[in-house]
Amino acid sequence: MSPLLELSDVSVHFAGLRALTNVSLQAKPGEVKAVIGPNGAGKTTLFNAITGYLQPTSGQIRFRGQDISGLPPHLISVRGIRRTFQNGGLFGEITVLENILCGLHSQTNSGFFGLLFGTRAAAAAERQAVAQARSLLELMGIGDLEDRQARDLSGGEQRIVEITRAISTDPPLLLLDEPAVGLTPPARDHLIDVIRRLAGERGVSVLLVEHSIDMVMKGSDVIAVLNGGQKIAEGPPDEIRRNKEVLDAYLGYA
Amino acid sequence: MKRDFKTRWLGSRAILDSRVFYFLPLLALFVPLLTNPYTQFVINLMLVYVLIAVGFNIVLGNLGQLAFTSTTCFGIGAYTTAIAMASLTLPFWIALLAGAAMGALAGLFASITALRGIRLYYLAIITLAFGELMRWVYIHADAVTRGTDGLPLPPAAFFGLSIDSEIKRFYLFLAITTLMVKGTSNLLRSRIGRAVVAIKDNEFATASLGIPTAHYIVLAFVWSGLVIGIAGGMFALLIGRVVPESFDLTALIFHFAMVMAGGLGNLAGSVLGAMLLTTMPEFLRSFPGIEEALFGILLVIVILLRPSGLASLLAGHLPMFRQRFYRER
Amino acid sequence: MEARLFYQLIISGIAQGAIYALVALSLTVVYRGTTIVNFGHGDFVMAGAFVAYAFVVLYGVPFVVAAVIALALLFALGFAMERGLIEPIKAGPHISFAMMTIAVGYVLRGIARAEWGREVLPMPRVFDLPPIFIGNVVITGDAIAFIGVVALSLGVFFLVLYATRTGQIVQAVYQSERGAALVGVNVRAFHSVIWGVGAAMGAVAGLLLAPVTLLYPDLGANFLIRGFAAMTLGGFGSLSGAVVGGILLGVAEQLLGAYVSTKLIDIAAYLVIIAVLVLRPTGLLGRIAVVRV
Repeated sequence: MSPLLELSDVSVHFAGLRALTNVSLQAKPGEVKAVIGPNGAGKTTLFNAITGYLQPTSGQIRFRGQDISGLPPHLISVRGIRRTFQNGGLFGEITVLENILCGLHSQTNSGFFGLLFGTRAAAAAERQAVAQARSLLELMGIGDLEDRQARDLSGGEQRIVEITRAISTDPPLLLLDEPAVGLTPPARDHLIDVIRRLAGERGVSVLLVEHSIDMVMKGSDVIAVLNGGQKIAEGPPDEIRRNKEVLDAYLGYA
Repeated sequence: MKRDFKTRWLGSRAILDSRVFYFLPLLALFVPLLTNPYTQFVINLMLVYVLIAVGFNIVLGNLGQLAFTSTTCFGIGAYTTAIAMASLTLPFWIALLAGAAMGALAGLFASITALRGIRLYYLAIITLAFGELMRWVYIHADAVTRGTDGLPLPPAAFFGLSIDSEIKRFYLFLAITTLMVKGTSNLLRSRIGRAVVAIKDNEFATASLGIPTAHYIVLAFVWSGLVIGIAGGMFALLIGRVVPESFDLTALIFHFAMVMAGGLGNLAGSVLGAMLLTTMPEFLRSFPGIEEALFGILLVIVILLRPSGLASLLAGHLPMFRQRFYRER
Repeated sequence: MEARLFYQLIISGIAQGAIYALVALSLTVVYRGTTIVNFGHGDFVMAGAFVAYAFVVLYGVPFVVAAVIALALLFALGFAMERGLIEPIKAGPHISFAMMTIAVGYVLRGIARAEWGREVLPMPRVFDLPPIFIGNVVITGDAIAFIGVVALSLGVFFLVLYATRTGQIVQAVYQSERGAALVGVNVRAFHSVIWGVGAAMGAVAGLLLAPVTLLYPDLGANFLIRGFAAMTLGGFGSLSGAVVGGILLGVAEQLLGAYVSTKLIDIAAYLVIIAVLVLRPTGLLGRIAVVRV
């Protein structure tokens, strides 16, 4: 069975900077794969290439068997790849509920004229989205945050909301860009739990960029290591922990 | 959010939510009982400005683009309506629709500029330049626009009924303004409004949610232009003669001020801001220059103290001033 | 005959463009220093002119003294404005800054109009330089004054910028505010001072205009737009671009006005803005890029 996401020899080169070189990677349903590496190793570039913010200079990115390398971000998202952002992609000026509703945008069937003239169909579609958003918030245990302004939330709460928003359309592939940054240990554990449940119970394929080695060891099934734009190792956490090249890459950096 | 009968109708906070807006136009039907032709004129003018503020706020406040498009769309709407009636002898309602269409087209052009990556001060400057260019066209294309003398409108009729008094204009304007404001509210409190404010907040993240950002940027500009264009057509009818002066930088500042006073991105705020600012100059009709200086100082104070406008001041006590982007019912 | 007209136009274009260059440069100086465009800058120019007018005509002060007063006053105005009105709202959206600067300009215009009514005012001539003849092309005394004073101002400006320690500080903040702060530059003071400098430079333009053109309270708008056009043409944010853009704009206006139609002089600036932003947004010597998602 072919993997959900397949990168084949993907390179992303800018003028003078080789951000990624011949990286091959796969993502399988129900699996949590962490992508780690020192600063500048190309992790965020990898995410940006997969989600359409950058175009690969060479190589192929296939999702469900289809080539997505030239598509713009919103089309890639609609196909089923959703992500969170390193610096927090929540819309601070609106409420948590409204953020989730934004996440459901592509599945909400209210059109321009329907909304303008207030047709019943449009109103029903909107109500359904609101109900869906609410139940999703309840499911994730943050129903009481519904009416809060997103920017007023704590870091941990914002992360969970952003993830909730990302999974609102049941995407088969979820990319999390450094979700644990700045979180307290209990918040981190909660996050690991959420990710595990997503993968285990809902069969979501999760790709995770993280700096916290600890989190990655506890939270992922497979770890891929990047250094200097290339993948230098991949395997289960125990193997990676003992891999000499990986240790070199990290210790050489201190 | 649980809502039981008691909270809904007896809790004093909950009463003044957006449903108030359904009652206001009904109450307004009685306004002509209290006015003389001059005050009625001011109220009619106020209705025009409400539309300008509401339309302009979409681009300025909700989409968050520094685009000085109000006078451009206002002028184009006014001249289109006037020319359609004077030169093409079209009835008012068709002329008004034409004004709306041209306003929307002007908005479209502005959005194309924004889409090509022109943002912030570049966008401000190019829209400013375009507005002044249009004003030059109004002055110099005098074969059609009658230049600085102004283009007079022929008597207008709305499906047979002649609109020749302030009161008749009031009812017409009330209907149009109410419809357009309600329509805008419908759009804002839906996935369309959400997409637009999301783009303002973080365009990259918006795209990652499957939202085609270009689509909504264009939509916001076009709808804004359409609303302001209609205001232009109404203005032409109200004044009876369209002159280029009405669309100069002073007018632009006034439009801008209404939106800021009410609160960027807040629909109820723009309505209030427009109502306040149109009635205020009546108190300041003292000496030339003083009025300007006082207005400017007032603006400065407002920006210093409450840059988020009246709406944010009132939102704590009156829920209807809290802008939401979804509907409960 | 043809050639003579052409050179004449170039000369008047450069003279007029010199003013635009100064306005554009002062706008850019402030923009580079604080990332804010002062939409009230045209009114600073006008204020400089009116202050000079007031002191010369109403109080009988010699022009040079009035000029110094105007420069000092405008510097103070710019400084105070940044301190009291811009800095407190610096966390807000750019729309607030735009509105604030517009509002202040509006106040200045209101004061000017209140003091001097709607009349258009003449001022006694100050420069009485004899014209220079090159072949049969005339460079009027006014043109000499404009070009001379602006050239001198520019000379002083760039000399200070590139050859003095103060100038190095300015360059440092222009490049990286945070970096400059880290090496001990008082960035907050810098902001206020640079606004003062920008306002004073605008006043110089006003001072040049005062004895030569008819003054009226709304003259600022014209120069603001031309300043923008010059900045856009030369490359928004570029100091030398502002100067080059200003001069080119002045020349373009004269040429368009003579060879195509005099009506175009008024809108040459708008056409330049639109053409440049549509065809080549970075302008001639431009630095700032354009956003793409």
